[in-house]
Amino acid sequence: MVDEEEIIRVAKLMKIDLEDHTEHVGRVKKMLEYFDILDQIDLSSEEIVSQEKALDELRKDEFIPNDKKLIESLKNFREHYVRAPKMN
Amino acid sequence: MNLKTSIIDYINDVKSGAFTVEEFTSATIQRIKDVDGDVHAYLSLNKSAIDDARIIDKKISAGEKVGICYGFPISIKDNICITGTKTTCASKILENFVAPYTATVVNKLQNEDAVITGKTNLDEFAMGLTTEFSAYGPTKNPWNLKYVPGGSSGGSAASVAADECLASLGSDTGGSVRNPASFCSVVGLKPTYGLISRYGLISYANSIEQIGPVTKTVKDCGFLLNIIAGQDSNDDTTIDNTNSDYLSDIEQGIDGKNIGVIKEMTSDGLSPEVSSATKDAIQDFEKLGANCEEVSLPTIPYTVAAYYTITSTEAGSNLARYDNIRYGYDLDSEGYEYNSYISKSRAKFGPEVTRRIILGGFVPSAGHAGKYFLKALKVKSKLISEVNNAFEKYDFLISPTAPVQPFQFGEKIDDPVTLMLLDYNTVTANLTGKPAISVPYRVTDGLPIGMQIIGNSQSEKSLLQAAYALESKTELPEVPL
Amino acid sequence: MTKIGLEIHCQLTKLESKLFCSCKANYREFEPNHNICPVCMGLPGSLPRLNQKAVKSATSIAMALSCDTPEKIAFFRKNYFYPDLPKNFQITQLNVYGDMSIGGEGYVDVEGKKIKIRRIQLEEDPGRLIYEGESERTKITLVDYNRAGTPLVEIVTDPDFENPRQVRVFLNILSDLLENLGVSEPGLEGAMRADGNVSIEGGNKVEIKNIGSFHDLEKALHFEITRQESLSERDIEIVQETRHWDDKRKITVSSRSKEEDQDYRYFLENDIPWVKIDQETITTLQKDMPESISSKKERFVEKFDIAPQVADILASDKYYSDLFENAHSNSDAKDIANLITTDLMGFVDTKEKREESKLTSQHLSDLVAAINDKTLTRTSSKTALQEIVKSGKSVKELLSEMDLGQVSDSSEIESIIMQVFEEEKQAVRDAKENPETVNYLVGKVMQKTKGKADPTKTLELIKSKIY
Repeated sequence: MVDEEEIIRVAKLMKIDLEDHTEHVGRVKKMLEYFDILDQIDLSSEEIVSQEKALDELRKDEFIPNDKKLIESLKNFREHYVRAPKMN
Repeated sequence: MNLKTSIIDYINDVKSGAFTVEEFTSATIQRIKDVDGDVHAYLSLNKSAIDDARIIDKKISAGEKVGICYGFPISIKDNICITGTKTTCASKILENFVAPYTATVVNKLQNEDAVITGKTNLDEFAMGLTTEFSAYGPTKNPWNLKYVPGGSSGGSAASVAADECLASLGSDTGGSVRNPASFCSVVGLKPTYGLISRYGLISYANSIEQIGPVTKTVKDCGFLLNIIAGQDSNDDTTIDNTNSDYLSDIEQGIDGKNIGVIKEMTSDGLSPEVSSATKDAIQDFEKLGANCEEVSLPTIPYTVAAYYTITSTEAGSNLARYDNIRYGYDLDSEGYEYNSYISKSRAKFGPEVTRRIILGGFVPSAGHAGKYFLKALKVKSKLISEVNNAFEKYDFLISPTAPVQPFQFGEKIDDPVTLMLLDYNTVTANLTGKPAISVPYRVTDGLPIGMQIIGNSQSEKSLLQAAYALESKTELPEVPL
Repeated sequence: MTKIGLEIHCQLTKLESKLFCSCKANYREFEPNHNICPVCMGLPGSLPRLNQKAVKSATSIAMALSCDTPEKIAFFRKNYFYPDLPKNFQITQLNVYGDMSIGGEGYVDVEGKKIKIRRIQLEEDPGRLIYEGESERTKITLVDYNRAGTPLVEIVTDPDFENPRQVRVFLNILSDLLENLGVSEPGLEGAMRADGNVSIEGGNKVEIKNIGSFHDLEKALHFEITRQESLSERDIEIVQETRHWDDKRKITVSSRSKEEDQDYRYFLENDIPWVKIDQETITTLQKDMPESISSKKERFVEKFDIAPQVADILASDKYYSDLFENAHSNSDAKDIANLITTDLMGFVDTKEKREESKLTSQHLSDLVAAINDKTLTRTSSKTALQEIVKSGKSVKELLSEMDLGQVSDSSEIESIIMQVFEEEKQAVRDAKENPETVNYLVGKVMQKTKGKADPTKTLELIKSKIY
C-alpha cells in the first residue's frame, strides 16, 4: 500500500504544486500499485549494463567559441545576467 | 496534383519534369489548409516552405547540384528543435520557446534539400499514447475523425496519412512512432538505439528513445533512413552504422528466414479483429517463404511496469530544467520567491506529465528505489538477455503493433493502467534497444491494424526487407479524407 | 581526539574546454553569459559530450595521489533544484555499481602522517549567483552561467586530520602537486575550494559547506572545533548535521532545514557511455606524467648537491623549477639554484609579478657565468636581476649600461683601499690586532665601489698591506 502523504511530499520535492489537483494523487497511487508486479519476478542474477566507449573515441579538448547572441535569444536576462527569483 | 504518392515516385516525377517542387509544395500547403482544421496534425507551419521550394526549382533548372530529397515535403514532430521555430513539445510551459539551434536530423534533411512543412502535434513531452494529452488539443485520426490517431507522435502519423506531407520524423520511447503508425495505417520505424542522433530531440527518456521515420511505404522508410542515420559527434550515444544503405536490396525477400511469433504479445489482450489479422499475417509470412514458430519471452508481462518506472524516473530528471528561469513562457520573476516561482511555473505542465514527474520522484527515491527503480533496471537486463537468446534462433520477432484498433476519444484516458497497457507490445523494442517497424496490414471496419516486426541490433537492412515483403502482400484502401 | 575530513573541489583550469562542451574551461575573461552554448546551458534537446583530456587529467591526479583507477568509469545525475544548475541536476560520479569514479583508496603524506584519499571524482561546476538589491524585499538573484560545466575534480579524504594546521599543510602540498602536474592553476580565484567535516572525541560528524577560500576554511574549522568543545563541556549533544559557513558573522550556522528533505535520486547519466580506462592508457599517462615534486627534490639534492631546503623551494614551485631546469648546466646548477632562491625570489613572489617578469632562463645562466668569471660581483647581481625582471635586457647590455662590471684591476682597488685606510684609521688598527675584523674594511671598499670591487682580490690586497 502506497502512502498518499508520501506522494504529496514527493510532489513538493519535484516542485509540483498539488493544491488544486489532488485527483492526481489517486491516479499516481494506482500506477504505483500496478508496479507491484515487479515483486513477482526473479531478478537475483541480473547485472546492470551500459554502452561503452574507448577513451580515444571521446571529444577532443578544444575551445570552440559559441554565438555570442545565445544569451539574448533566451528570456529573463538583464545586462547579460539571467534574472532568477530571490532565494531564501 | 496527386498527393497520394510516395517519396520515391515524387522524386522521379520532379526529375522527369512532371511537376515542379513549388507546384507540389503549393498543393501540399493547400491540402493542409483544407483538412488540418479537422485533423489538427500541425501545431505550426513553415511560412517559408514555398520560398524553399522555389530555391530548389532554381537549382534544378540551373543544372546545379540538388540534394537527393528534391524538395519533398516532410513534417517534424514538435519535440525536435529547428532554429527560429517555436518548439513547444505540445506543452504550455514551452509556449514561447524558440529553438536557437537545429537538430542534427533536420540539418541532414535540409542539407539534402527536403522542404519542412511544419511541426506536428504530440502528447505533451511525448508522454502518452493517443495525442489526447497535447496542451493544444488532440489530433484526429484521418481514417475516422472521432477516433484517436495514436501517440505520442499522433500529429506525425496523421499528417502523413492525410497526405499533408510525404513523410514525418517522430520519436519513439515506448511505441510512440509505431503505435500511431499502426493506428493511421502508415509505416513507422523505431531504429536501433544509437542509430540516429538525438541531438535536438527534447529528452523524455533518454536511455531508450529514438527519432523514427514515418512514411507511406517501406521503401520511403529506407530512403529516409539513409539520410538521417549515422554517428554524430554531437551525440555520444550514437553508434557507427558503417554507412549501410538501407534501400538497396530491399526487395530481396525473406525466403528461408526464421520468424518467432511472440507468444505473450499475441494471446489474450488482443481484440478479435487484431487477433484475426495477426493469424493472417503469419500465414502471409509463411507464403513468403519464412518459417514461423511461436516463441515465449517470459519477462514480457513485467515490461510495462519496468518501462513506466524507468521512463518516469528519467522524465522527472529530464523535465527538471523547466523552471521558467532561462526560457519558457512569459512570467516575470520580480516579486517571487524561488520555490513559489518554480512551482507556479511548473503548474503549466499538463495532467499526465505532472503525474509522471511525481512518479519519477517517487520510484528512484532513497526509500523506494530498491522496490521499483532498481528492479526495473534488472528487468531491462533480463529482457535483453532473453531477446538476445531469441535472436540466436530467429531472424525476426513479430506481433501486432497494438493490441487493439484505434478507439474513440475519451475512451481509454481515464484508467491509467488500461492506458499503460496499450504499450504492451511495443516497449520491448525500446527497453532492449532493438529496431522495430510497424507495417500497415489491414483496415477493418474503417480502422487500421498494423503488424510489428522486431529485428536484432543494427539489422535495419534485413528488417526493411521483411517489412517490404509483408507490405507487398497487403492491399489497403485509401484514407477517406 | 579531533577528526577532520576534507572535500576539495579543484577546477581543471589547464584544459581548453569544459567537461561536456567546447566552451572555455577557464571562464574568467568573459562577460557574464558569454561563455555558454546549448549544452552547458542545458537547453532542451542538448546532449553532454565528455572531454577526453579531462578524463586523462583526472586519471593523472588519481595516480599522483596513489589512488586505484577503475577499469571503467561512469557518470551519474545528482538531481536537485537550484538556479545555478542549468539542468537542475549535476552530472557527477558515484560508486554505486562497483567502483566507477575516476580514483579511490589513495593517500598523501603530510609531515609523516598518511592522509587517506577515499575517492576522487570528475564532475561539472555549476554557474555563479550574484545577489543584488539592498533589502529582503528588493533582492533579486542574478545568474552567470559562464562557469557552468567547468571541469571539477572532487577529492574526498578520510577524517584523518588532527588539527587545522595539518589541513593547511596538506592543502599547500596538494596545490603544489596539482600545479606541478600541469592540470590546474590553484592560484586562480575560485579554482580550488574546500569543504570540511569535524568531529571531536568520537562524537557526531558535522559537515561544513559554503567555504569560500582556504583561509576561511581554517577559520571555519577552528570555530567549529571550539563550538563542539564548548557544547561538549556543557554535556550538550553535538547533532550530526550540515552547517554552512557565514562569512559575514564568521560562524557556522545550521543548514538543517535546507538539507533534510533532499533526495538526490541518483541514477546513471545515460547520455554518457561508460568509458574504458585500459592498461595502455595508464602506462602512457604514467610515462607522460611530469616528475613529482618529491622526486625532483631528491634529484636536485643527489645529482647537483643542492642543499635540501633550497631543493625544497625549487621543487615545490613549478615556476622556479622550470627556470632552474632550463638554466643550469651540470657545473653551475648549485649557483643557479642559489641565485633563484636568494636574490630572485623577492622580485617574482606573486602571480602578477611573474606574469610581468621579462626574466628568462638564459638570463640566469648568463648572470651566473658573469659572476663566476668575475665580471660581476655577487652583490651587483641583485641589482642586475631587478633590472632584468623589469626590462628583459641581456646581461651583456646591462654590464655596459649600468656600469655593473666588476672592478678587478689591482691598482684601481688599491687606490680605493688607500682612501678607506685614510678614513678608517681606527678600523685599521683594530684589524692589525684582531684579523677577524678585517672584513669591515673589505665592506667599506665594496661600499665605495658600489659593490663592484672583486671581494677576493680586495681582501688579498688589504691583508698584504696590513700584515
